[in-house]
Amino acid sequence: MSQPTDLKQSLKVMIVDSLMLQVGPEAIADDAPLFGPTGLGLDSVDALQLVVSLEKNYGLKIADTSEAKKILQSVNTIAATLTQLDETRRAQPPRS
Amino acid sequence: MSLRVIFITGANGGLGVATARAFLTESPDNCVWLGVRQRREAAERLAGEFPGRCDLAELDVTQPEVWRAAVEIIVARHQRLDVLVNNAGFHSDALLAQMAPESWRNVLAANLDGTFHGCQAVLPTMISQRHGRIVNIASLSALAAPAGQTNYAAAKAGVVALTQSLAKEVARIGITVNALCPGFIETESLAELDAEARRAMIARIPMRRIGRPEEVAAAVKFLASPEAGYITGSTLKVDGGIL
Repeated sequence: MSQPTDLKQSLKVMIVDSLMLQVGPEAIADDAPLFGPTGLGLDSVDALQLVVSLEKNYGLKIADTSEAKKILQSVNTIAATLTQLDETRRAQPPRS
Repeated sequence: MSLRVIFITGANGGLGVATARAFLTESPDNCVWLGVRQRREAAERLAGEFPGRCDLAELDVTQPEVWRAAVEIIVARHQRLDVLVNNAGFHSDALLAQMAPESWRNVLAANLDGTFHGCQAVLPTMISQRHGRIVNIASLSALAAPAGQTNYAAAKAGVVALTQSLAKEVARIGITVNALCPGFIETESLAELDAEARRAMIARIPMRRIGRPEEVAAAVKFLASPEAGYITGSTLKVDGGIL
């Protein structure tokens, strides 16, 4: 599934801002691993901040660590989760 | 100074009231929430003295969902939460050989679990603010571990260790976490002592007097202040020099 480029761009800005990274959003590739030595090199404290930022900015609630590991692999995986969440919300009938 | 929102648990007791008063008189921009459970007379009196700046929050510190609800109310009102003072707790002394298992569990639940649940409840807000101050009220018993207090000493030592560990986790996010260990302080728990026991207690204190709740409150206020921004994971004794 493809996700809008502007969503990925805003995610990168959020990552840089919320983690106060010393790199710009353009330095983060869509499919680059966010964690570990081969990617952006984020750690568990960064993950905690990302979970809070995603809930605050996108209403995405990540229930536990194993779910966080799956969702926070890369900008692509986060964008895919948000796109799916958006589609689920649209499919739900409006509350009367 | 701009708006600061402070949440104090165990806020009907002597230390809680003194701490709340210290924050309320520090600045007209401080708003204080008083976590209370069964007893609330003193907290209600204090809230009446500072209308619009001091409110009560229903809080059983052992229940995580109650914590979440209380923090939601505070954040919905102010859009922020700057300081948490985990002050709620009690002791139920007995020799270990004769200690009821419920006494062990209840003291651990109120003092240690309550601190854990409180920190967990406020962290999402403090992380998104990239700012916060957590002050955990431990006890001299955490460091001196007197006989007859295995439950309380273990719980408060746990609070000190939790404080040190959590401080490392959130330091880079702008959140400080510190523990405070009061010694003998003039609160309701000392009121039960007879004159002889009181004299014996004072004789053990190098300063030869019992501490005032305001002296503990001043230390809490300092640890929550901008001036204490580089202090985290610390344990501060307020004990007249006993240890």
